[in-house]
Amino acid sequence: MTHRVLAVLAALLGVLAVFAGTPYPAKLDVRALAAEIAAEDDHVTAIELAQWIRDRKAGLRIFDLRSAEEFGEYHVPTAKRAALEELVSMRFTPADTIVLISDGGAHAAQAWVLLRASGTPHVYFLRGGLGEWLDDVMNPVGASSDVAALSRYFGGLPRSGTPSAKTTNTVREMKRRGC
Amino acid sequence: MSDSLLIALAIGVAFGFALERAGLGSARKLAGQFYLTDLTVFKVMFSAIVTAMLGAFWLARLGIVDLSRVYVPETWLVPQLVGGLVFGAGFVIAGLCPGTSCVAAAAGRVDGVAVVGGMFAGVLVTGFLFPSLQSLYDTTGRGAQTLPQLLHVSYGVVVCAVVAMALAGFRAAEWLENRT
Repeated sequence: MTHRVLAVLAALLGVLAVFAGTPYPAKLDVRALAAEIAAEDDHVTAIELAQWIRDRKAGLRIFDLRSAEEFGEYHVPTAKRAALEELVSMRFTPADTIVLISDGGAHAAQAWVLLRASGTPHVYFLRGGLGEWLDDVMNPVGASSDVAALSRYFGGLPRSGTPSAKTTNTVREMKRRGC
Repeated sequence: MSDSLLIALAIGVAFGFALERAGLGSARKLAGQFYLTDLTVFKVMFSAIVTAMLGAFWLARLGIVDLSRVYVPETWLVPQLVGGLVFGAGFVIAGLCPGTSCVAAAAGRVDGVAVVGGMFAGVLVTGFLFPSLQSLYDTTGRGAQTLPQLLHVSYGVVVCAVVAMALAGFRAAEWLENRT
């Protein structure tokens, strides 16, 4: 009797194994990641991010990787602060669109690699970091009417002129303006 | 003593205990395998394989065991074929294999002690002769191959097929034993 129970159990586990998928943990597919980077599917521009926020893109989650102090000074609307260690232990759903922001782009790009390597599907980093947001969304120079409208939506100050005439904006300047 | 050696010792003792409890310390019982009158060896070994395979697969699938850290021995076709023939010939002549000879020796059987002695003598002679065996030893290397890679099927399919083979084999073994 015991033999039959064990045989049935083994048969059941054997049949279920066919549908269980691979027993090996997912490996980092370096080629796929390289292809994503080459196709520039790894990042968003500040304008794209601004449109996503304005349009209330479903599942959009923005994480600012800078320090709490820097985050307190200024951050992109709807962004939440997260340390890198916290970020990699978070659970995301396939419906989430993750955007990572750091001061420049480097730290966020590193976080992008870590999240993609852990299997999170829709991850992007803000290419030029917070500086790009300040330059292209909050203080665009010679922008099209659409971008100027987008800038004003976020309380920005679009200016006329040629793009080469624009100055680099800093968080400190934004703070003086009360943003 | 490192943790892994302690774990290996515990597994070895458990393995020996299971073999002795299954009666595999007796050369007479093992010889029955070759006359198709007592297929205990086949049933015990295949049960162990199926248990370990299902355990490894499902524990890995549930994230408890990391299979990528399990060492897969490399395949060397001709040397392993020759080694298998030597092993098989020794098994038939002695009526014991390496594991069961240790069990028999531990149980105080003289034939077990003789086989263990012969086994170590063989290891020593092979070591001395190794320079002349080196060319055979290094031929037909195929790397670490697994059945799913070789057959281009999923691990689950191989697991299911091995379980089916085991269950069919057990039924056939029972039939052969009852026939005599």
